[in-house]
Amino acid sequence: MPIVAIAYFLFLFSPVLLLALGSFGESWSNTLLPTGFTWRWYEEVAADPSFRRAFVTSLQIVGITCALNVLIGLPLAYAIQVGAKGGMRFAARLVTLLPVAVPDLVLAFGFILVFSSDQLPWLGSFWLLAAGHLVLTLPYTVTALVADMEQLRLDEYEHAAATLGAPFLARIRDIVFPLLSPSLVSSMLTVAALSIGEFQLSNLIAGFLSRPYPVVLLQAFYGATGFACAATIVLLLLATLASLASSLTSRLSKTKKEAAA
Amino acid sequence: MTLRYENVSFTYPGAKAGIFDISLEIGKGELLAIIGASGSGKSTILKLLAGFVSPDRGRIVIDEKDVSALSPEARRLGVVFQNYALFPHMRLWENVAYPLKVRGVSKTERRNCAVEMLDRVGMKSRADDLPAALSGGQQQRVALARALVFEPQGLLLDEPLSALDASLRVEMRDEILRVQRASGIATLLVTHDQEEALSIADKIAVMRDGRLIQLGTPRELYETPADAYVAGFVGQSNLWPGMIRADGVVETGIGSLACDTRGHKPGDAVTVFIRPERIVPSFDGAQQSADAGRAGGYFSGSVAADRYLGPIRRIDLNVQGGLIRLETHLRDAVTSVHVPADAIRLLPAN
Amino acid sequence: MSVRASRKALAAFALPGCITLGLFFLLPVGTVMTGALTDGGAFVRLVNDPVFWNGLKGTLIIGTAAPLFSLVVGFCIALTLARLAPKAKTAALIAVSLPLTFSGLIVAYGFILLLGRAGFVTLLLAELGFDPAVVGGFIFSPFGLGIAYSYYLVPRVVLIVLPAIGNFDRNQLIAARSLGAGAARAMIDVMLPQIAPSLVAAFCLTSAVAIGAYGTALALVGTQVNILPLVLYSKISETGTDLPAASAASLVLIAICVLIISLGEAVGRKGKASGA
Repeated sequence: MPIVAIAYFLFLFSPVLLLALGSFGESWSNTLLPTGFTWRWYEEVAADPSFRRAFVTSLQIVGITCALNVLIGLPLAYAIQVGAKGGMRFAARLVTLLPVAVPDLVLAFGFILVFSSDQLPWLGSFWLLAAGHLVLTLPYTVTALVADMEQLRLDEYEHAAATLGAPFLARIRDIVFPLLSPSLVSSMLTVAALSIGEFQLSNLIAGFLSRPYPVVLLQAFYGATGFACAATIVLLLLATLASLASSLTSRLSKTKKEAAA
Repeated sequence: MTLRYENVSFTYPGAKAGIFDISLEIGKGELLAIIGASGSGKSTILKLLAGFVSPDRGRIVIDEKDVSALSPEARRLGVVFQNYALFPHMRLWENVAYPLKVRGVSKTERRNCAVEMLDRVGMKSRADDLPAALSGGQQQRVALARALVFEPQGLLLDEPLSALDASLRVEMRDEILRVQRASGIATLLVTHDQEEALSIADKIAVMRDGRLIQLGTPRELYETPADAYVAGFVGQSNLWPGMIRADGVVETGIGSLACDTRGHKPGDAVTVFIRPERIVPSFDGAQQSADAGRAGGYFSGSVAADRYLGPIRRIDLNVQGGLIRLETHLRDAVTSVHVPADAIRLLPAN
Repeated sequence: MSVRASRKALAAFALPGCITLGLFFLLPVGTVMTGALTDGGAFVRLVNDPVFWNGLKGTLIIGTAAPLFSLVVGFCIALTLARLAPKAKTAALIAVSLPLTFSGLIVAYGFILLLGRAGFVTLLLAELGFDPAVVGGFIFSPFGLGIAYSYYLVPRVVLIVLPAIGNFDRNQLIAARSLGAGAARAMIDVMLPQIAPSLVAAFCLTSAVAIGAYGTALALVGTQVNILPLVLYSKISETGTDLPAASAASLVLIAICVLIISLGEAVGRKGKASGA
């Protein structure tokens, strides 16, 4: 078994390693590894206007997706967890499974059909793209938050607060928010990582001027290897940072909880 | 300030479990314990008073006011939860001050109140710690302080000692009793531990399958249990099926026993009940028993089990036709016993 | 109903989420479905299209091969991780789950560099006398695509299977061996049956993901490989195509995924019920 594990970690890191090497190599064609060392590719990516615009678009989309996930996903998760009996439990499970049952490609097709109509002519707009990212990440947010509410035993604390005289809004403000904030931060970081790498939906519904980073990145694959590597590494770094930060925040809050137990 | 249940019934939606026609009253300064096996409905009783569920029928009355429809936050009852439910993100004083905060007490004033309350449970020095830094017993003290700081109309304790080590349980039991007596507050204690209930309650209610089967002082419960279930649940007992043979004589598997049979007529089926410590070892009794016969209440047999429990021994004695369980502080070998007539009580047959 | 919040408050809380999911999920998906069902000829045209059948074949291959491969690898990883000390386990788990958030594009380009026609491994093997054209072509076949997919399928398997292995009482293996079973025998007789539900659940989830994905494939091979999502993608992105037929193909894709997921749910629930 350990041999498989070691082989797997090689498999996991070698593409990333090659991308990193390629992004610093001056030239790489039909050789085992690139030759020379240069910052040129990163400079070119940074100077490329379509990449610059895509980068900014992606960050905006990520910010809005996270904000909407908090505003919409958190209340939804709370409603599901509190009302979690029979049918609601099933509804929650369904919300979790839907994105896997309906491939992104089909959803994108549906977006094209619905939002190119005269009633809802939103296709290609920035906000429709944000809505798409929201729908793709919402199930993740709801699942993660519901699980954390269960694990935190939020209901016990809310009951305790109620007997101490705290009305609904005070309980939300003093108990639910503070207790849930670490999981909220962790979930939003994961949402950011997912949103930043999203390609399958964006590729079909983004307007030319609001293309996010991954969609523009695809074009780079047909150009110089070094440039493609550098552009990919930028995306990789962003996703990795968000993802690691998410793991660390959730880990931190968990160790704190274990210390409490 | 009294807490009262008036003919309260409640069943969980979609389930048969619940409680049926419960009437109880807890007077000012009184501590009522509810005991019963898990699933007996004792926790439901507490939830109804706290306001986590509302009765299907009947009324919950606090201080002569019907609160059946009130939300928990409007009932002014201090609750100590099984896992204490101290807010992990608040310091101890903030936890204790929280009920004052939601009532709009100023920060300095509520801090002073909270620290004073912590002092009363011996936790003043830890006021600025987080709950995570505390042991179970310490969390218990803080939870008690938090439940009492806003001068509630009643105190509700939900299995408060079940999460503690056995050694700490007795200490915390006394602590709870001390604080409860000092504040003179009507208190409801829910527990599955009959010993805990016997030792601190003024009155005990025994629940079974959602019904109240006996309500009485610890002494009443122990000495005159209503039926074999209560007798078996509270303390150790000998319970033999029997039949009244004549006035003053009951026939059991181990023979005839003399006892007070008032209220029964010959031919009635009964359960014969006797506490193990009321059975008297008899060392010169072997002969007597042979002489006086079994009707005299003397039995001989062989020891099936002899358990050494420190201050006492608990012995199972195999006699012809059955088994007699007795407790004695004596260290000598026991092969004969005397079952005194005045120690026997007759309970309804099962 | 609940002390925690009134019915009204809960309804108000759930409303924005329901509107979002309704407008941006149910409406588009519903439109696709009705588009397929209202045009009676759509399915006929689809069934008569050899490209569709080729795509379906490719999709079924990738939907079986990729999750199977990922399951075997993921199971071994999970077994290894389960034995690690808590800290090492946490670190390894974070590393393993990183690819979950990676864009399919990163994976695609990484694999072009690793296994493409001029990839690192391809050239390395060429030194040993393997034909680079054959080796480099592998990643562009459905099987090769499956290997690339496993990059983000294996983490899913690990995340599902690891808790099941963690809950499994290892003393049972020791007990089985003390009763005379060999190591492999003990694992097959004692451990596998108990964690089988999680293995099935992991297979079904990863299979559905592999069947629905197109990003990695598009980046790797354009629309040259015959898998259903790419067939659908070219139908959608080319103008003037038969949209009802595309809807019908979407419906087939959804049906396959729903079927597989329902299977996983059914087995998963059974496992949970008997495990409790």
